[in-house]
Amino acid sequence: MQDQFQGRRFIIQIIFVFAAIFLIGKAAQLQLFDSSYQKAASSYVVQELNIYPSRGLIFDRDSNLLVNNEAMYDLMVTYNQVSPDMDTAKFCDLLGISKQAFLKNLNKDFRSNKYSPFKPFVFLSKISSETYAKFQESLYEFPGFYAELRNVRGYEYNSGAHVLGYTGEVSPLKLEQDKYYRRGDYIGISGLELAYEKELRGRRGVQYLLRNNLGRVVGPYENGRRDTAAVSGYDLYSTLDIELQRYGEKLLQNKRGAIIAIEPATGEILAMVSAPSYNPNLLRIGRERGEAFAKLSQDEAKPLFNRALSAQYPPGSIFKPVVALIAMQEEVSSPFRTIGCRGGYYYKSLHVGCHGHPTATSVSMAIQHSCNAYFCQVFRDIVDKNGFSRANIGLDTFNSHLYSFGLGRRLESDIPNQLPGNVPTSEYYTKLYKGNSWASPYIISLGIGQGELLMTPLQMANMTATIANRGFYYPPHLAKFFKHNNEIMPIPENLRTKNSTKINREYFSYVVDGMEDVVKAGTARIAQIPDVSVCGKTGTAENPHGEDHSVFVAFAPKENPKIAIAVFVENASWGGTYAAPIASLMIEQYLKGEVSDSRKYLEKRMFDAVILP
Amino acid sequence: MTRRRATTTRDLDWMTLSLYLALVATGLSMVYAVSFDGVSEFYDLSTRHGSQLLWTGISIIIGFTIIILDSKFYQTFANPIYLFIILCLIYVLVFGRIVAGSKSWVDFGFFRFQPSEFAKFATCLALASYLSGYKYTLQNIRAQLTALGIILLPMVLILLQGDAGSALVFTSLLIVLYREGMPLPIYILGGTVVGLSITALMFDDALPILLGLSLLASSIIVFSFKNIQNRIGFALAVVGIVLVFNYSETLRYVALGASGLIFLILFFIKMATKNRQLAIVLGIGLVLSSAYVFSVNYAFYKVLKPHQQDRVLVWLRPDKASVAASYNVTWSKRAIGSGGLTGKGFLQGNITKLDYVPAQETDFIFCTIGEEQGFVGSFSVIALYLLLLLRIVFIAERQRSKFTRIYGYGVASVLFFHFLINIGMTMGLMPVIGIPLPYLSYGGSSLLAFTILLAILLKMDSNRLLEFR
Repeated sequence: MQDQFQGRRFIIQIIFVFAAIFLIGKAAQLQLFDSSYQKAASSYVVQELNIYPSRGLIFDRDSNLLVNNEAMYDLMVTYNQVSPDMDTAKFCDLLGISKQAFLKNLNKDFRSNKYSPFKPFVFLSKISSETYAKFQESLYEFPGFYAELRNVRGYEYNSGAHVLGYTGEVSPLKLEQDKYYRRGDYIGISGLELAYEKELRGRRGVQYLLRNNLGRVVGPYENGRRDTAAVSGYDLYSTLDIELQRYGEKLLQNKRGAIIAIEPATGEILAMVSAPSYNPNLLRIGRERGEAFAKLSQDEAKPLFNRALSAQYPPGSIFKPVVALIAMQEEVSSPFRTIGCRGGYYYKSLHVGCHGHPTATSVSMAIQHSCNAYFCQVFRDIVDKNGFSRANIGLDTFNSHLYSFGLGRRLESDIPNQLPGNVPTSEYYTKLYKGNSWASPYIISLGIGQGELLMTPLQMANMTATIANRGFYYPPHLAKFFKHNNEIMPIPENLRTKNSTKINREYFSYVVDGMEDVVKAGTARIAQIPDVSVCGKTGTAENPHGEDHSVFVAFAPKENPKIAIAVFVENASWGGTYAAPIASLMIEQYLKGEVSDSRKYLEKRMFDAVILP
Repeated sequence: MTRRRATTTRDLDWMTLSLYLALVATGLSMVYAVSFDGVSEFYDLSTRHGSQLLWTGISIIIGFTIIILDSKFYQTFANPIYLFIILCLIYVLVFGRIVAGSKSWVDFGFFRFQPSEFAKFATCLALASYLSGYKYTLQNIRAQLTALGIILLPMVLILLQGDAGSALVFTSLLIVLYREGMPLPIYILGGTVVGLSITALMFDDALPILLGLSLLASSIIVFSFKNIQNRIGFALAVVGIVLVFNYSETLRYVALGASGLIFLILFFIKMATKNRQLAIVLGIGLVLSSAYVFSVNYAFYKVLKPHQQDRVLVWLRPDKASVAASYNVTWSKRAIGSGGLTGKGFLQGNITKLDYVPAQETDFIFCTIGEEQGFVGSFSVIALYLLLLLRIVFIAERQRSKFTRIYGYGVASVLFFHFLINIGMTMGLMPVIGIPLPYLSYGGSSLLAFTILLAILLKMDSNRLLEFR
């Protein structure tokens, strides 16, 4: 039988082959060349759950807990998994939000690449654990929603706000700089939280979960093989003595000023008070924080401003011991040099006033009586050491000593946001006097701590600690050590490095004797503490805007000092009235653990004093 | 001369049987992969894979029975079988059960089945019986119409059940008619209509299609002149018109008018020559197809049901389809795409496991293959199918009996249609019309019907040497 159409079989075979090639081609495209399907699938099927580590706790030097963690929740949502027929009224009721807020939080702009309907985003953050507990029971009724546990800071004491700092959501700038952070992460913003962010934060973990077609989690992805555990942060043991800190805050209540107390032998900061301060619990992460922050930042008294680090004042007479030390070291003045004081220092038409006191026959006496004439003279001798016309060399030498006391520069420290103070340089004066030659009389006020010289309270305290140590200091710092599961980690090397001055140890004894006499029989007798030899120096920082600021620096005991302190009270006039009593009370409280009955009257007077501009 | 004794075992086409068994085994393991819940036994008959295992057993037994029965049976009873199935289809229409929107199930209480599945081999048998008749040739219109009628009868009945997908399968039998001599122009015409429909639906705008059609018609006339200058001139005109067309919204009509004018001029020039037939065909063709393009979109929205419209939109206009409508195909593509080169491994397909793709074990079984076995798996399954199809064509062509040959082509055509459409639809290449992948998809009726379809061919093939004894 003839089959004239037999040739058509080939056409049919070709069609079959082409169809198969067509299908294989498409399979190759989907499976080999275009990864978008795979990505879309895994972004939906695999849910990435952040496990936030618990942030390291903060303790004081005696292991009293200062900062703890409290649970709070972020409610996350994946838009396209939300059921259109969920009970919105119940949902809003449980969370205490309005229907409008619900719609606003849910309907993001999905055309922008910030949000995707397939990827979870924060629906509502900072839900308290009480609210969440109620909500959690009904969570299963709302597909597409799940909660992430966040740790937020809680504060055991209403003290130390400036030292501890606070945390908050990471800024967009930081997000760009540091790839570790993700949007919504909490990060240290100030104080210790900022300084030791890396140590405190720990490491975030990620859990990968499988979701079924309804968006419900059904189990771990790849049996959890790709999960990473969260590692909690290091606990931070700070140098702070919380009792002393609280006491200092109480002493400065209703005043403006700062107290810094340092353990001279180590540079550990025992207390750092800036008044007025605020209750750290006001700035804890939560929904009320925004309002509290706005209120604090608008307060005219600037409670957010840390005066201990960021206020710069002319130090006044507390600077004189340093001038004396430099003069002796530069051999322009001997420890027993006598300089007469005729009610001040006179040079041509220049006059720097002084008060009535016996003639200073030694450096110690000059310090005891805070003689302006004496220090103007020795300062000029330092500057003019290489000749009257070469004051620049003399000033440079003077300044190099000041730098070794930690002045004029930011101190190497773990304390963020310090200001550097100011030590005016010879270049500065050359510029100021427009290239005309200038000489020692022009800058005479530096010798008594006035003029362009500026110091922060921190620098004052550090300077005092250097004198207490007779010539060296350790960078003042706030962290003692870190601890993680019984493993101790020391603070950074640079905080344990000794900084020495170039002044011979013997010269310090004359200065220290003078400072002892200041308290024993000088301008600060009010600072005497029974059975403790306190060495101090009063000062008055000139304030062009109003009443002068009261300054007092001190350390005690004289031998083997345990505490060096700087107290600064704004507008409190002369250093002996408020700054000296406050410093001595702090010293007594620290050394003895309590204030003796004989001085309770003084304590009460300080507590009650109201000094506001 | 004595002919050698035919033995079924020796003359059975073992290659086809192996391909069949390979596909069935793959299907069984894939159904297991979908329905496996980590607890139940492989043999648990209450599970999907257990049920599929049972049906595999039944299918193999029935297939085996077919192979030992006398092959003369099918040729003799082809028409009664066809008639019986047609009656079943009518019965279903009246008394059938509705499952998944189609009234296509016969329920015997203990057992229910879909006659439409069995209509496929019955129609193949009837077609083979009719066309192998001595006096029939597809060159005459009566035979053509009768053959089409045999195909259309079950098709219409199944369409009435609401199962458009299964009905469309019968169009594949046009391949059989083609092989048996159905005139080529019918296919060209059909192909053109399908092509035009798809093109018209893919674009909202009919103008570019009209422009393309008129330029195509013009170019056919120009090329019939065999004059190189004419061709170059025409090519330049085409470039100009396309540029003008794309220049601005209003100039589109100018360009379209120009191309229409060119065609008219060419048309009259051609009419003046001896070969005016071409001009007439092209002229009528252009007018009809232009009219058709305009009416397709209208018909699409008027004639098709909303869910059918959705399926076409998902296929041709994914951007226009709703998220809900494209859900199946979207997830099917993601499942396949996520398999990569080597797949996630047997029982490791998480998209499969987590019910993302509806009808995963039936119509979308290919997803599981793609996801768990990767490109290697998809390639292998497609290759197995191609081998099977080519082998069936080979078997059909080696028959002395016209009946067996036609039946063989029927088997190949039906399998081909399922293969192309089903795998194509899981990857978004074809509309989702809900037909299973033979031997792989879950479903007893389907497996049994396709087994019978193939077993009959194997039986008749094993007896090919006994013909004319």
